[in-house]
Amino acid sequence: MRYFEKMKGITKSPPRVDLWEMMWSWIGSFLGIAAVAFIHYQWLEKSDMTLIIGSFGASAVLIYGAIRSPLAQPRNLLGGHVLSAVIGVTACKIFPGQLWLASALAVSFSIFVMHATKTLHPPGGATALIAVIGGPKIHALGYLYAFLPVGLGAMAMLLIALAVNNLSGKRRYPEFWW
Amino acid sequence: MTTKTRGGFFGSSSVELSEEDILAAMKSIHGYLDITPSDFKEVYGIAFRHAIERLSNMVKAGDIMTPGVISVGPDTPLSETAQKMEEANISGVPVVAGDRTVLGMISEKDFLWKMGAGKTGSFMGVVSECLSNRGCVAMPIRGKTAGDIMVSPVITAQRDATVFELSKKLAEHHINRIPVTDEQGRLVGIVSRGDIVDSYCAKIF
Repeated sequence: MRYFEKMKGITKSPPRVDLWEMMWSWIGSFLGIAAVAFIHYQWLEKSDMTLIIGSFGASAVLIYGAIRSPLAQPRNLLGGHVLSAVIGVTACKIFPGQLWLASALAVSFSIFVMHATKTLHPPGGATALIAVIGGPKIHALGYLYAFLPVGLGAMAMLLIALAVNNLSGKRRYPEFWW
Repeated sequence: MTTKTRGGFFGSSSVELSEEDILAAMKSIHGYLDITPSDFKEVYGIAFRHAIERLSNMVKAGDIMTPGVISVGPDTPLSETAQKMEEANISGVPVVAGDRTVLGMISEKDFLWKMGAGKTGSFMGVVSECLSNRGCVAMPIRGKTAGDIMVSPVITAQRDATVFELSKKLAEHHINRIPVTDEQGRLVGIVSRGDIVDSYCAKIF
């Protein structure tokens, strides 16, 4: 049975990175999330605005922890988040009474569009989903959600990635822009 | 004779990397590589074959052939044909018409076959034939001409044929040399397996 045979896997897990790599991943992600969270909690929250969403935690894994990955490049980070945000908001506006359907459509169409535009960025799926399940505060933003928090937040994370990932002699970011 | 898996330079066997090779390479590269060893292996295998094909396409038959080949006519007696091959120390010779169009090829094997070497055309076949019968093993072909034993039609190539195409022809037809002709089918040179091996050493690697 070839079908079940395929479930056994064919290869090994890639090797563990060294301690320096772990340290640089830690520094980058600490600073990246700190920047976005600081602006959010210290300034924006008082005026009822948002800069941080859950999917940025996932982006941090990629753009500070797997910086060579195609999924972690600026094109994917910005494109994946913004396109998915627009799709998520659209799904929520079309099916406001059936959030289960809006949720599924938001994520599935996001993956489809990210593939088509070569901007696949896994946290984008979360960004699309948050547009639907994020509650009244996110819903009230409408399409602004794609700009703030999503667009500007991703941009801030990118700036930190550019600054921190190129400090180490052994690291280089990005691999490509477009 | 045992059958060997056909693969060689263009097959996959010579580009086979072990998982340990790939993991060692991944370890030596700094940072987290977002690829599994088996995916890398697949990419490498395809890229390697692509590179070989690309490099092979750069070298043409005209670049590596031996020009001014020794040839015989269809009416040349086999005694003279054999003498010519012996003098030039070659194991195959093209048979050409008066206008030098290629009619066929004669190799050592064609001689051996006609001398009773059996299917494999090996020298030992002739020896065994010789020992079990009395008399000269060349007797059956005495008085015959090149045209009688040549292999025809013959596989030929033109000057702009790539090494990749030549290698493929050699492998597919189980032959050791290909006469190179001009547009009119006239002999201008010959490419042997050895010429192809030399071309890899000199021009590619």
